[in-house]
Amino acid sequence: MKISKSIYLFFLPGLLLYAIFFIYPTVSALFYSFTDWDGLSSSFQFVGIDNYERAFTGDTIFRKTIGNNLKFMLVVVVFQTFVALAFALVVLKNTKTTIFLRALYFFPTILSSVSVAFIWSFIYDPSLGILNQTLELVGLGSLAQNWLGNADIAIYSLAVTQIWFHAGQMLIIFVAGLQSIPDELYEVAKIEGATKWQTFRNVTWPLLAPSATIVIAYTTIQSFKAFDLVFAMTGGGPNNSTEIVATYIFDIAFRSYQFGYASAISVIFMIIIATITFLQFKALRSDRISY
Amino acid sequence: MKNYSFLPLGVLALGLLLSGCAGESTSDTSTEGAEDSTQISFIHWRGEDKAVLDDIITQFEDKNPDISVEMTIYPSEQYQATGQRLLQDGSTGDVFTSFPGAQFEAIASAGLFEDLNGEDFVSNFDEELISVGQKDEAQLALPYQLVFNMPVYNKGMFDELGLEVPKSWTEFQAVADTLLENGITPIAFPGADIGPNQFMNSMMMNNAPDEDVFEKLQNGEESLTNEWWVKTLEDFQLLEEKGYIQADSLGTSQDSAMAMVANEEAAMLATGSYHMSALLDLNPDLELDLMAPITVEESEAVYEGINTATFMLAVNSQSEKKEQAKEFITFLSQPEIASHYANETGQHLTVNDVEYESEVLQNTAYWIDERKTRFQPRFLITNAQIEAAVLSSIENVLGGADPMTAAEEAQQLVDENRE
Repeated sequence: MKISKSIYLFFLPGLLLYAIFFIYPTVSALFYSFTDWDGLSSSFQFVGIDNYERAFTGDTIFRKTIGNNLKFMLVVVVFQTFVALAFALVVLKNTKTTIFLRALYFFPTILSSVSVAFIWSFIYDPSLGILNQTLELVGLGSLAQNWLGNADIAIYSLAVTQIWFHAGQMLIIFVAGLQSIPDELYEVAKIEGATKWQTFRNVTWPLLAPSATIVIAYTTIQSFKAFDLVFAMTGGGPNNSTEIVATYIFDIAFRSYQFGYASAISVIFMIIIATITFLQFKALRSDRISY
Repeated sequence: MKNYSFLPLGVLALGLLLSGCAGESTSDTSTEGAEDSTQISFIHWRGEDKAVLDDIITQFEDKNPDISVEMTIYPSEQYQATGQRLLQDGSTGDVFTSFPGAQFEAIASAGLFEDLNGEDFVSNFDEELISVGQKDEAQLALPYQLVFNMPVYNKGMFDELGLEVPKSWTEFQAVADTLLENGITPIAFPGADIGPNQFMNSMMMNNAPDEDVFEKLQNGEESLTNEWWVKTLEDFQLLEEKGYIQADSLGTSQDSAMAMVANEEAAMLATGSYHMSALLDLNPDLELDLMAPITVEESEAVYEGINTATFMLAVNSQSEKKEQAKEFITFLSQPEIASHYANETGQHLTVNDVEYESEVLQNTAYWIDERKTRFQPRFLITNAQIEAAVLSSIENVLGGADPMTAAEEAQQLVDENRE
């Protein structure tokens, strides 16, 4: 089939937008990462790889943010995937209850991140918050915590909020994946006397691999890029325990006026996300099974 | 050194890499005026002042029909992230505002402040309160508001319990013990947000009376592991251990801490004078005043409190409408206009001859010239990363760390970020 050259015109707007909003900023950030630009002045100097050297050897907080990001990502990826899959299995059938549950599970995703941060800051408030009050009410007062003020657990409290906020989105992907599995396979499993767990293990999960790949990769990227919730709920504190790379970049660029250094961290950050995503896709694709 | 005209595009670059980081903005425009009038742009971050500033702008435009003012208000984080960068090409922010400290230094280094030395309106301000807007003998900005960053206390409660304002650390602890015995938390500390930023000032003011201590810290002549800062951290630890600040203080938000004081569960709010009107909105029966803990013995106390001259008015050096911008600042610095602004916003001002009408402003105005206050030490840290390290050490101690260990960890960060 011969494709008319004019068809390339249709790609042009998209390519143009991609160039303006992705390629140009990326190249610019790379350029500025080799400078000492403060973000305000009209001049700067090239500093070679100084910014990168500082990030890897002379910046304790940056290394801490990477650790915090990894903790946050691991908790979010594991539990968000699990929760979204569990919700998807619950709402798979189209009954009145499941339609209501779908709406309920999806509801948090329509909120703005600032609203979510406000709601959960209130939930977590150590004295006025409903979480501690509920624990007290049901006799589990010993589990009451300073959820966002305790440096040991604050990052996990934020992870729970992130999961609540985004699990509904992942639910949609899993539901689509589950609906694409042929009913015949379940019928065969039933005829052969497979238990529900065996059916899930040998039929559902392998055929959900493409959806799971998307969910896990997307959740990884999303949790690495998390900014709004952390910024609004803890601002990186206490004592940098919830400082993640994105909030740190903001601090460096817009509070410390070290735009060149912030660009270098951004470039490193982009490479880390790209690498993890690539490895995930590779690992998860090799697990795919076809029937 | 090279000059590049495409620098502003770099902002877009990092901004887009940080996709999702942008906050929401609110803005307001006042564009009334004659068609041939010159429109100036006024940018700042105080959304809560919108109504009174709209009114002031209307009055200004009535008196100056050849000038109209377009006011744009950014949320403070967004103002830092993007607003001030708009100054670079001179198309916006003919009149703009800045914070003292790191932001002032950065804008000054970028040469975006017009030198206001020699302008008539400078004499409308209290000369002792505008030095924070000076650099290299130039008057780059004129602080408009005068804030006292020290605890607000329930004076009525103190009177009822027969308590005097403590003049030493020993007396402070005795007062705090009495409050505790009466079932009252001495200090509501909003550790989840602005608590450490504000309370560190009064906690350290007499432990390190040398006003150059943070400059010395930044140039390596001082260390956080020295007596003055370790003692400050030990004092914070004492407040925590004795229950003088509420439990779980690092998880307490500003609103929760204010509620504690408004409900009279706590006697002091560890923030500043800017919260007095909000506290009175929550509980109009409160009788409030200001009081900083004196962390040394009475004979060693040098300062009684903290002041900050902020909301610094400036003219953009890149502007093509500097004369009109200066007219607007001249108008803002008229005593009657400044009085209107002060009374509507509940703020003390740096402008001379302001008449405070509200009871709370009148009752606390004695802090302006009758008390020995020092400029907020935190704003004398001009490197934001070093400021963050200092604040982190407070959070670290309130989280249970040993003061010396916290000081050592923070000093390491200071060393890493020293320029």
